[in-house]
Amino acid sequence: MTKRIFILCLIVGWAAGLFFAQTKPAKVIAIKGAKIVPVVGDDIDNGTILIKDGKIESIGKDVAIPNGAEVVEAKGLSAYPGMIDSYSILGLQEISGVSATVDTRETGRLNPQVFAIEALRYDSMHIPIARSNGITAAIVAPSGGVIAGQSVLIKLDGWTNREMVIKNPAAMQIEFPAIRGGRGGFGGGMGRGGVVAVDATRLIAELKEVFNKARYYNKRKNFASKNPSLPIPELDETLEFILPVLKGELQVMISVHSDRDIKAAIQFVKDENLKAVFFGVEQGWKVADDIKIANIPVIIGSLYDMPPVWDDGYDSLFRNPVILNKAGVKIAFSSMSASIAKDLPYHAAKAAAFGLDKKEALKAVTIYPAEIFGVDKLMGSLEKGKIANVVLSDGDILETKTNIKKVYIDGKECDLSNKYTELLEKFKKRG
Amino acid sequence: MNVRQYLHLFMVILCLFAFALGETADVGPTYAIRKAKIVPVSGPVIEKGSLIIRDGLIEAVGPVDKVAIPEDAEVIEAEGLIAYPGLISAHTNLLLEEPTPARTAETPPGPAELIMGGAVQAQAAQTADLMIFKQLKPKKTTLDGFLKVGFTTVLVAPNRGIFQGQSVVVNLNGEKAETMVVKNPLALHINFTTIRGGYPSSLMGTIAYIRQSFLDADHYANAQTLYAKNPKGMKRPEFDPFLETLLPYLRDKKPVVFQCNDLEDIKRALKIIDEFKLKAMLTHANEAWRAAAVLKKMPIPLLVTLDFRPPNGSMYVNQGEDLKKKAETEIYPANAANLVKEGLRFALTTFGLNDGSAALKNIQSAIKAGLPKEEALKALTIQPAQYLGLAQQLGSLEPGKIANVILTKGELFDEKTQVEKVFVDGILWKF
Amino acid sequence: MNKTIRNLLTSAVVLALAPLPVFSSGGNLLIKNGTILTVTKGVIAKGDILVLNGIIRQVGQDIQAPAGVQVIDATGKYVIPGIIDSHTHIALDGTNEGSEAITPEADVGEVVNADDTAILTALSGGVTMVHTMHGSANPIGGPNVVLKMKWGRPSEELIVHEALRTLKFALGENVKQSSRTITVGGPPPRYPQTRMGTNAIIRRELLKAKVYMEEWDRYNKLKASKTPPKNLLPPGKDLRMEVLSDLLRGKMVARCHDYQATEALEFIGLAKEFGFKVQAFEHAWEAYKIAAELAAAKIGISVFADSWAYKMEAAEGIAYDAGYCAKKGVLVSINSDSGERIRRLFNEASKTMKYGGLNETEALSLVTINPAIQLGVDRIVGSLEVGKQADIAIFNEHPMSSYTRCDMTIIDGDVYFDRGQYLKEREEAAKQAQAPKKGGRP
Repeated sequence: MTKRIFILCLIVGWAAGLFFAQTKPAKVIAIKGAKIVPVVGDDIDNGTILIKDGKIESIGKDVAIPNGAEVVEAKGLSAYPGMIDSYSILGLQEISGVSATVDTRETGRLNPQVFAIEALRYDSMHIPIARSNGITAAIVAPSGGVIAGQSVLIKLDGWTNREMVIKNPAAMQIEFPAIRGGRGGFGGGMGRGGVVAVDATRLIAELKEVFNKARYYNKRKNFASKNPSLPIPELDETLEFILPVLKGELQVMISVHSDRDIKAAIQFVKDENLKAVFFGVEQGWKVADDIKIANIPVIIGSLYDMPPVWDDGYDSLFRNPVILNKAGVKIAFSSMSASIAKDLPYHAAKAAAFGLDKKEALKAVTIYPAEIFGVDKLMGSLEKGKIANVVLSDGDILETKTNIKKVYIDGKECDLSNKYTELLEKFKKRG
Repeated sequence: MNVRQYLHLFMVILCLFAFALGETADVGPTYAIRKAKIVPVSGPVIEKGSLIIRDGLIEAVGPVDKVAIPEDAEVIEAEGLIAYPGLISAHTNLLLEEPTPARTAETPPGPAELIMGGAVQAQAAQTADLMIFKQLKPKKTTLDGFLKVGFTTVLVAPNRGIFQGQSVVVNLNGEKAETMVVKNPLALHINFTTIRGGYPSSLMGTIAYIRQSFLDADHYANAQTLYAKNPKGMKRPEFDPFLETLLPYLRDKKPVVFQCNDLEDIKRALKIIDEFKLKAMLTHANEAWRAAAVLKKMPIPLLVTLDFRPPNGSMYVNQGEDLKKKAETEIYPANAANLVKEGLRFALTTFGLNDGSAALKNIQSAIKAGLPKEEALKALTIQPAQYLGLAQQLGSLEPGKIANVILTKGELFDEKTQVEKVFVDGILWKF
Repeated sequence: MNKTIRNLLTSAVVLALAPLPVFSSGGNLLIKNGTILTVTKGVIAKGDILVLNGIIRQVGQDIQAPAGVQVIDATGKYVIPGIIDSHTHIALDGTNEGSEAITPEADVGEVVNADDTAILTALSGGVTMVHTMHGSANPIGGPNVVLKMKWGRPSEELIVHEALRTLKFALGENVKQSSRTITVGGPPPRYPQTRMGTNAIIRRELLKAKVYMEEWDRYNKLKASKTPPKNLLPPGKDLRMEVLSDLLRGKMVARCHDYQATEALEFIGLAKEFGFKVQAFEHAWEAYKIAAELAAAKIGISVFADSWAYKMEAAEGIAYDAGYCAKKGVLVSINSDSGERIRRLFNEASKTMKYGGLNETEALSLVTINPAIQLGVDRIVGSLEVGKQADIAIFNEHPMSSYTRCDMTIIDGDVYFDRGQYLKEREEAAKQAQAPKKGGRP
């Protein structure tokens, strides 16, 4: 009896082992026969992608498939690099109306010491949904106050929050004090808040003051470390976590909206000598050249919004990325969401409908965000040596009707089931 | 008795008379305004004329050679001056203790419903029986301000709730309410406002509430009539002070004034007026020109305010500062001119303005925006007098009418013009 | 020809608000050489549509323009029926009479505001008709109204009288005021605070309405009798009860805001008990759980494509809801419930191809013929068929592609939105703004 059980256990164990072995990254995977859209470089019809150790080993029309490779027949499918959402709240919010499930905003104005990664709910119900639509990486950003905290770049796969990290922190998030009124919009009824000009000026001054203090704090720390007779400055957590920004190790992502504020933000970046990326930038089209000259990339906010003021024109949000792109500003799209982060490709397509070159639209959800966040050596395109974040689809990845058939992250095939499919399957059984 | 003694006796008798008459206005001396240019409004301009004021009334008016100067008259040499009838503002919230802004939601009437479906008593909405006359608190500063720019008569309306109460027309002749009254009550005032924290809290609720109130009053009247005819065997209908107040307005067609914020409010009022066959006026009917087609079919007195601030909640307010400013400086000032263009008659009011100089400034703006000066004058004299049912007493310089007369240096409403003298009820006002 | 309505109302400064062009063709148009997606009668490649007096007179190929009829070249473009939004709250002065639980007298038809710029937003997304509704703050809200998006026309001309009269009901979190914090010493909470109470209060009001109807019936009988009593007083007319009576008499249908399956099923039971018609459930995020019951009861749903997880009762709102229910025989429409989403309803509808496997025509139906059926206006709009009103939208790409854009919106044969013209005007305005001003200082 015991022996039988023992044998049974052995069999089960072996089967389970087999099962788990299969879900582990196979040593070599060959995706064969796909139309490859590498994003960088020309499309390759009927090409092959060879994945080894989680990386793209080779890619092209005539790639030899080694023996023992797991061959994925992808005839009729297209292969894209996984998309990158340049601003999301994935893992920070489950149900927006239930505050117990929301971790997006810390209280207070200056919060460089808060890190999105530390609240990231790795098994958020929204992550598998975004992933199953071809999104493999995302910025997760805190908001609120003036310095909102530190965002993180994650891959949309992992058993713990730390497993998901690609780059942490990815940026220090600044919400640039917005001036309300004057030209309507921003706070004039379209719900973007803002303060009166005097207060905005005061808040900007306060922000600059904090940077100055941090520089001085840093100086004292350095002196103290070299000279034991000098006092060690008292710990200031706010200043402490700004230091990487001042040292040029970390970029800031500045949330800024109106043309007037954008100009002020450009000046701020110049004055403080920061490495910066802008986010939101709804009236960027009005000052596209200034942004270009300042060489600051722009993350376009969700296009599921109204123009800030009527005078901008009904389509101002849609043509904003078009104009910025034409001016030579590097743009990337974002979902600004958790529950519909999956819609990232449709924001890009919307801009394309209003004149953005389709290839540029695609780049703005793949290689451009990778460049902006300094991970273009790792991801953002299908190129030899890059991490194998590959999406197989039955059509244009930016089209709503397109189905995503397979998603690989780090060369590992991901489970595409999610809360949608689980509930659907459950109730399908009802008949 | 010498002449002097006679005069003394006369004065004593006069005083006794005044005493006996009780609350009538003091009777000033007899005045003869000589050699003035006279603009009677109701007839042609008299280039050089005289105007006799006696016992508070206009005794005579005509060319210098046709009007004899009475012996007892105090002669006012008015060469170079112009005489006009005193101006009438047919809707104000003046002379009340604290003039409150026109469009504020009311405070809660009491606890919200506690039991299932128990109706909230909309007490704040039911102040129809309020006689605003009882709340008059005239202050000399306010009077001075309005008299200084030529206003001698105003309608004072209540300003709280939906069924706001009943208005009074007063001459600005002093600080004693009783002596000021020209007509009381003048009209029932209804406002399309809401009750904060109570019922109705929305405009559609308010409209239903107004309609239901008139339906209830109608039912109440039916029950009363039936009972009066045949009380035997019928349960006595319960007395309802609110519905009781509505009866004269519903059944006897006393005037009801609807306060309208915009074009849509005007149409909403017209619908109710038509439905219950009310005798009505529209106040704050600033966008009446946009409803010209309807108003030509259904002529109704229009009271258009000189307060050019767009009401809260209007599109001019919630689309940004630029548009709001445009509304105040261009759109609203042109309302009166647009009415003239459409061939619609109207009266101008100072509703919403708490000082006279603002009113004058805005009359000038309206004229700049295309309102012919003579139309402005009519809209502030004979037209409101007719609307208020006071055309026999007020609104023009004619023998027998109340001696509300102003003397100006320069044409009325011109920027440099000064109002030199103001007679109210025949009394020369002392500033 | 092509006289602009804006010119007719030169002083209608409201139009200065929105630089969108508005043209009147006099209701006569010939749309040439477009790909015509009729929705109900297939696709016509290189097709034409002739509109006379605002009505579609011919749909086919090689139609010649009668004299004086303006021709719109739709070569390379897609011509579809005007999009219909089955559930929104635009063009109203106020949405909720939330002070009390039962307010059927509060009729949104009384507070239509034709100056709402959301109408322009709708037009820019090809929307020609909306069902603009009472909010969901109370179990029985009030009557809703169907409007055409005729910007610049007076409000009374926007109202579609052919539509079914609908009454808004609401269930769940909103009416039980889940998000309201009850403070000590503050005003007591409004009844109901549970889903049980919600049903109870609806049931009680319907019972009251029955009594009200009986009273009037009794009065009318007595009045009509040979010897009416001397002191016969008609019952007081009660607007609240009048509306509910109309519902019970079948003169109105219910549109019920609901999220959870249980409350929907219970409401169906209530409707059966009182004999009124539920035309559709709004939002219905758990409709896929009870698709069979909905199909059997012939109750439609008006839902989002995928906007979910914004509150507890929307936590199981899966993107497959619309597509799955449609396949199960439920009449489905995709709604906006928003003055912003309204301009991308076509995008939202297209998501059902991925989630639910609908084909392009089925997906397009969700924002055209299906909402038309739900509103009872499918005889006059919702598809491109001869005899229907000429509510038409023209897109540069297939409307179910994410790359598409609305280029023109036509209502009753008049052009209310024309992107081409809009761009031209914008360019001219920009030129004028750049031109050096004469007479100014150097």
